[in-house]
Amino acid sequence: MSGKRVVIFGGDPAGVAAALAQAKAGMEVILVESSPSLGAERLPQTRIVTNGGSPYLESDWDAVKRHPNIRVITNADVIKTTSVDGTYRFHIRRRTPRVDPEKCNACNACIRVCPIHMYDDFNEGIGFRTAIDFFNPKTGVYNIFKEDMPICQATCPANLDIRSYVGLIADGNYAASLAKIRERLPFALSIGRVCPHPCETACNRGYVDEPISICTLKRFVADWEMHHAVDPPVDVPEKFSDEKVAVIGAGPAGLTCAYFLAKAGYQSVVYEAMPEPGGMFRFGIPEYRLPTPTLMREINWILAHGAELRCNVRVGKDVSFEDLRKEYAAIFVGVGAWTGMKLGIAGEDLQGVIDGVVFLRDANLGKKIDARGRVIVVGGGNVAMDAARVSWRAGFEEVHVFYRRTKKEMPASPWEIEAAEHERIKFQYLVAPVEVIGESGRMKALKCLRMQLGEPDASGRRRPVPIEGSEFVVEAETLIAAIGQSPDLKFVPEESGVKITRWSTFDVHTETYMTNVPGIFSAGDCQTGPDIAIRACAGGRKAAAAIVRYIEGNRRGSQVKGPE
Amino acid sequence: MQYTTDIRIVRLMCTGRVDPTILAEAFVNGADGVMVVGCHFGDCHYITGNVQGKIKVGLAARVLDYVGLNPKRVSFDQCSSAEGERFVRLITEFDNGIRELGPLGSHDRLPMPELREKLLVAKTALGKEKLRWVVGKFTEFATKGNKYGERFTEHEMWRTLDTIVMDEVATYQIMHELEGSPGAARDIAARLNLPPPHVLRYVLALQRRGLVELDGVEGNSPRYRLAEVKAA
Repeated sequence: MSGKRVVIFGGDPAGVAAALAQAKAGMEVILVESSPSLGAERLPQTRIVTNGGSPYLESDWDAVKRHPNIRVITNADVIKTTSVDGTYRFHIRRRTPRVDPEKCNACNACIRVCPIHMYDDFNEGIGFRTAIDFFNPKTGVYNIFKEDMPICQATCPANLDIRSYVGLIADGNYAASLAKIRERLPFALSIGRVCPHPCETACNRGYVDEPISICTLKRFVADWEMHHAVDPPVDVPEKFSDEKVAVIGAGPAGLTCAYFLAKAGYQSVVYEAMPEPGGMFRFGIPEYRLPTPTLMREINWILAHGAELRCNVRVGKDVSFEDLRKEYAAIFVGVGAWTGMKLGIAGEDLQGVIDGVVFLRDANLGKKIDARGRVIVVGGGNVAMDAARVSWRAGFEEVHVFYRRTKKEMPASPWEIEAAEHERIKFQYLVAPVEVIGESGRMKALKCLRMQLGEPDASGRRRPVPIEGSEFVVEAETLIAAIGQSPDLKFVPEESGVKITRWSTFDVHTETYMTNVPGIFSAGDCQTGPDIAIRACAGGRKAAAAIVRYIEGNRRGSQVKGPE
Repeated sequence: MQYTTDIRIVRLMCTGRVDPTILAEAFVNGADGVMVVGCHFGDCHYITGNVQGKIKVGLAARVLDYVGLNPKRVSFDQCSSAEGERFVRLITEFDNGIRELGPLGSHDRLPMPELREKLLVAKTALGKEKLRWVVGKFTEFATKGNKYGERFTEHEMWRTLDTIVMDEVATYQIMHELEGSPGAARDIAARLNLPPPHVLRYVLALQRRGLVELDGVEGNSPRYRLAEVKAA
């Protein structure tokens, strides 16, 4: 190699000029441009240089093309840069050129007949552009502009093929629509009921009138199957492999993982600490949002694919983690986040102070709730909303929700807040608890402080700042703290060497979901921290695919990537 | 078995032979309704001819509906050669339906001379490559998928076709106007009763495709004329 190599990103006139200058200085130049050709694709009109000649660009495209030391890579992006000992390495991804530039003679015939009209970003939408088009009048390189996945699909953590399944519902082909959903998600019934549907927030139809009701449509097809007593198909290979996988936790992530493992021909054993399967679906989400018979129909169908369920088995107590490692080809951990965060105030261990997830679990287990007097729910997330609405149903006289920011900053879904307001749950914003006041070991009142909003913090929301001397006392018999959860990973012994982050979650590879210890995979809340169910399902599916690759790789002697 | 003498039967080898332009042509020449009757699905001698036929008639009906024809004037039905009674019933029902509508232009969105102009545009659009190719790909996209393996539902295919129909009709309307004399986008818009920015967009797209070129500038507005299209 003669001299040093230089990489230049961007083929606009500045990039071209830099490339020529560097080449003249004896460097080997690589010019990377993201559009299909060099040139003025997105150059503001005001910056176009006129030099008496062409009103377009005076840059020496031809000089760049002719120069022996300049290599032009168009239609490509730099996706990753690493630096080692003063040198850089670039990963460049070139998108598929869909027109062969050697054969194209710019006859225009394709443009004349192309049926797809698209937004013309070159002319800021004055005219139309066809899907196959030249992207720069100066250089005239043709290519097909192919859109990525639709915005709803890209937004969905599980990347459900929404376009197709909504279309199939419109065609009236419900069975095919459900099959389409189940290619990526086994929980159509449950997710259709509980999902906060980020896809609808992103839906482009929202700019015209209102978004497509994607979530409710999913619920509709799933309900259609349930109400018409159609047996969902159990589609598994004829023969399962000898290797078995242990799945810890029968929640959204674990069951999704077991489902996709079975579809790929691997049986699994699902360990569940609670007396019934379902995880957060069963014990975290109140009955009125997701009825148990509905959930159980779906879980029984998943288990029918070839997963063995062992309830009332707590890993680390009834069976050791290391034993599982010896017995199974791989382990998937999807134990969720069940430990409520502490409020960190005085008197928190008094009787009557209860944790949000524990309260919901007890309610779902059918334990008797001591519903007397007034209850205060502290927090503004969906767990707080669920806890408030469940306590209203349990028969507390008054239900209050205290949140330290305002309604605008509340992380709970707006429709849940609205429903809670309809149930006459009293909201108090900009209030933070300071001390639980007790009497003979039992909570009697809660001392609070008024807040005001200050500067935005790391999450982008404005930080609440206490107002001096604004203390007040509210009498209440029960306090439910719903200010967040974290996973309890104490069952993983230290000797196993599994790395646990400071948020008490697993550190996994972003694509394979494998922890730093080969053969141990994790997804769901115990990997992401408390999050929405569909993300847990998405993680479960991707982990299942990686587990299959891991086991098959072990047979052949290749490896799956762990976290970096 | 008796049926009305107001119909005229045109024999074709297969409903798959029914080109969308044939339907438009019939209306341009004054027919009050067109009915396509073919074999039942699954009985096709050419395996999928009647499926193609249904799609083609469906497309023609959509385009004709879009330009102002009452969609009840087009019908697609199936009847085997052994079902004489069914045939009589279908014919009688269709005939009664057309009688209720009256002659062309009476129960349509446009009255007669204008409707015929639009039907001519529809006929041109239906005869051009774009719509014909998409229709030809219809079953392939719905069953095998496109080059990227994406399969489309029937609903999506029709929705895509609808937008192409809108584009095509607007395009050929504008070209039809320009055939007579060159004009500015604003004049064409006034004559076609369309919003000028809308027309300009199509004119620019036509210019990009090399079908329309600049004729001159009139005051502040450019005047366009049809370009001579050279074979590629």
